[in-house]
This record gives sequence, structure tokens and C-alpha cells, in this order.
Amino acid sequence: MALLLADARLPGGGHAHSASLEPALLGGLPAADVPAWMAGRATTVSLVEAGTAVVASRVLAAGPVAEDDGPAALAAVERAWAARTPSQALRDAARLLGRGYLRVARTLWSGHPAVVAVAGQAARHGSVPRAVVLGAVAAASGLTPADVVRLTVYDDAQTAASALLKLEPLDPLVTARWVLDACAAAEPHVPRVAACTTPESIPASGAPQTEGWAEAHALRTQRLFRA
Amino acid sequence: MPENPILESTALPRPLRLGVAGPVGVGKSSLIATVCRALADELAIGVITNDIYTDEDARFLRSAGVLEPDRIRAVETGACPHTAIRDDVTANLLAAEDLAADFAPLDLVIIESGGDNLTATFSPALVDAQIFVLDVAGGGDVARKGGPGIGRADLLVVNKTDLAPHVGVDVEQMVADAADAREGRAVIALSRSDETSVAALRAWLLGVLAAYRDGVHVAQDPGPMAPHFHADDDGGGILHSHADGDHTHAHSHG
Repeated sequence: MALLLADARLPGGGHAHSASLEPALLGGLPAADVPAWMAGRATTVSLVEAGTAVVASRVLAAGPVAEDDGPAALAAVERAWAARTPSQALRDAARLLGRGYLRVARTLWSGHPAVVAVAGQAARHGSVPRAVVLGAVAAASGLTPADVVRLTVYDDAQTAASALLKLEPLDPLVTARWVLDACAAAEPHVPRVAACTTPESIPASGAPQTEGWAEAHALRTQRLFRA
Repeated sequence: MPENPILESTALPRPLRLGVAGPVGVGKSSLIATVCRALADELAIGVITNDIYTDEDARFLRSAGVLEPDRIRAVETGACPHTAIRDDVTANLLAAEDLAADFAPLDLVIIESGGDNLTATFSPALVDAQIFVLDVAGGGDVARKGGPGIGRADLLVVNKTDLAPHVGVDVEQMVADAADAREGRAVIALSRSDETSVAALRAWLLGVLAAYRDGVHVAQDPGPMAPHFHADDDGGGILHSHADGDHTHAHSHG
């Protein structure tokens, strides 16, 4: 399951995104610093996404989410994520990815209560971010919390690595090493993030410079990637 | 963020989605402007552009003044315009849903591909019908060379026929070559300054729209690749096409 979700060939709209890399390079990050930047993401913003997905998955697996406090609990997870993602541009991009991912989820796990609950949330309140949809996919498919965390970290690193090849001339095998290094950097955090159960427990490890670059990027007329 | 109902569950009536593909510089944006001008009075239209590096095409169309600026949206393709209309159409599909929701009721959403090569065609998951555009300035032999878009798009347009005398191309021959390659499918020789050709384009589009609304239009897939040859080590090889369902083979198309 994790393999399917981690495969860039799964058509969820991810190929138009650079995991904040294009904004970073246009904002002045030297290409030589990209591996350190990737490891930095793996231990900060990726863990916010991962924790959000883990908690959403637990909320959705816990119960009759379609009733009473279900939607409120899901909304609380989304609020916690939004509070940890101050950039409007990044929140918009994550919600766009969430819509694409929801298409995948609705097609592959149609009728599963977790997917139905998130689709309902999206229909009532506007698009939900990708991390929350991933939580629904995890609940529907039985993905373990640790797998959710590793998948999130890997996907972010691999997205940036693929985007870099479009933005800078480079041997693709060089970036494959960087992806492994980024995942290794996140590994010590996996148990802690996989253990998150409440919105308050989601890591609040932000990256203000990334937020700033994302805002500047959203105003450009020349860009290859959505964010 | 606007309220966003899941539009896919309400399959019809949604606007007809028309793809416009073809190599760089053949006049795709200009053709779309021509369509908008010819039909703006009777159809509610939205346009999505897939530029590679910029939102240039969207800005060109907005500046042409043929539609309200908000009805023209640009999507990013991550430097993969081919992927965005074929292998992962998500970004375009979401943009088409947004246009349809924001300007309901729309009759037609036109999706312009990023100028790509002769093999780029739209997935039937994204568009109901597609136009493949060539121009006379690209050379009279291009239509004869064929390819999925030239051979099997719903309509082939040979554009900029007014330039033919200047580039030494015999338009009639080029159209005849195209008609041969297409086994009778529609071909229009177009110049935006030739009223008769614009009327033919307009009539074709209204015909497709009517068939779509009557539920008798079936989206065709031109196929991702033209028939091509794979050599093997013994000096032999096989000729095959990906349009015939033969997709399980051990080579990469890059």
C-alpha cells in the first residue's frame, strides 16, 4: 500500500508541485545547499504533515465520524494543521493536492467510511489538505502510523528531488542519495510522530523562510511548479 | 477558497471539454481566440492554458479581449506538459471543475495543451473531444508523417493557410495528405482571416456540442504513440502501436 502511494506514477496531481523547492531556489537558496535543505524539511515541515495525517487517521478510524462530533474532530485536526502552516500559498497548494488525492481515494476506496467522511468535509467546508486525505487513505487501507510518517517524509523529499532535475542540471542518481539521507534524518523522529493522537500533539516545527519564499513564488508569472 | 462541491459525482450536465493540442507555434492560442470570437454570443466558454514556463498563453488570451479575464485560467505542469494532459490530468481536471462551478452554467471548457511534440494527445479522462493543430509554416510534409494526433484527433486543423504562398506549401496537397492519414476524419484548412474557414470550424464545434448533449458523442482516444518499430539484436524487430491495446512490453518510451 505504501509503495503504491509513494509511486510518482499514481495520478494525484503531484507532478506539478516541487515541495517548495522552486520557491526556495528562486528565493536565493544555492543549489549546493539543497541536500541540507531537504534534511531540514524532513525534520520540520514534513513532520507537521506526517503528524496531521497520523492524527486524522486515528480520528477517522475511531469512529462514526459522520455523526455528531466526528466532523468537529476532523475540523480540529485541520485547524491544528493550518495553525502550523502560516503561509496561505502553502495552505492553498496543500488543499489543491488534497483534492487530487481525494480523487484517488474516492476511486480506489469508494464507500469506505473514512473516505466518505473526508469527502463530506470537503463538500461542506471546501477542500481539505493532502495530509488529512492521507489520514483517510491510511484509515481505509490499514496503513500503519509509522508507514504514514515515512511515506510523508519520502514523498516530500522525492518530490523536491524530481523537481530539482527540472530546475538545475544534475545527475539524477545524485539526488537519489539525498532522498535517502533526508529519510534517514527523519528516522529518529518516526516513533514520536507516529504516536500522535490529538491535534495538540502534532509537531509544530515550522520553517519561516520556506513560508516566505512560498508567498513570493505565488506572485510570480514565470514558474514551472504550482508551489 | 470557494465552496467546492465534488462535481465528479454529478457527471452531467457538465460543460463539453475540448482539448487543443499541437506543436509549439502552430497557433493554438490564436485558434482558441478565434473560436471564442465566433461563439461568444451563443455559448458560455471558459479556457484553461497549460504553458510550460509562464502564464503567457493565458495572458495572450486575456489581452485578446474575447472572454472575461477570470474565465481564462493557467495551470502549472511541472515542466511536463505531456503528463498534464495524458498520464496525470489531475491539475487540469480540477481547474475545469473550478471553472464550471465558478461560471455555471458553462457550455464549453477549452483546454490548451502546452506546445509539445507530435505525440502529445489528450486523455479521454480529461477531454470529450480534441483538435490537433498544425500550420503550413511547419512544412507541407508534417501531415504526411502522421502520429496519433494527426491521425486520430476528432479534428485536424491545418492553420495559417494565408501564409502558404510565402512558405512554398501547397495547402490542397497538405490537406489531402492529412485526409489520407486520417481515413476520412475531419480536416479544416484554417486562416483566421478567412471567414469561410472560421465558419467551418464553428459548425464543427457546434456539431460536436450537439452530439455531446444528445448523449451520442463518444470520447475517442487517439492513442499515446504512433505505430513504431523496435529493432532486436538479430537485425529483425517488430512494428507495433500502443493504440491497439498492446501495452505490456518491456521497453521505455522515456
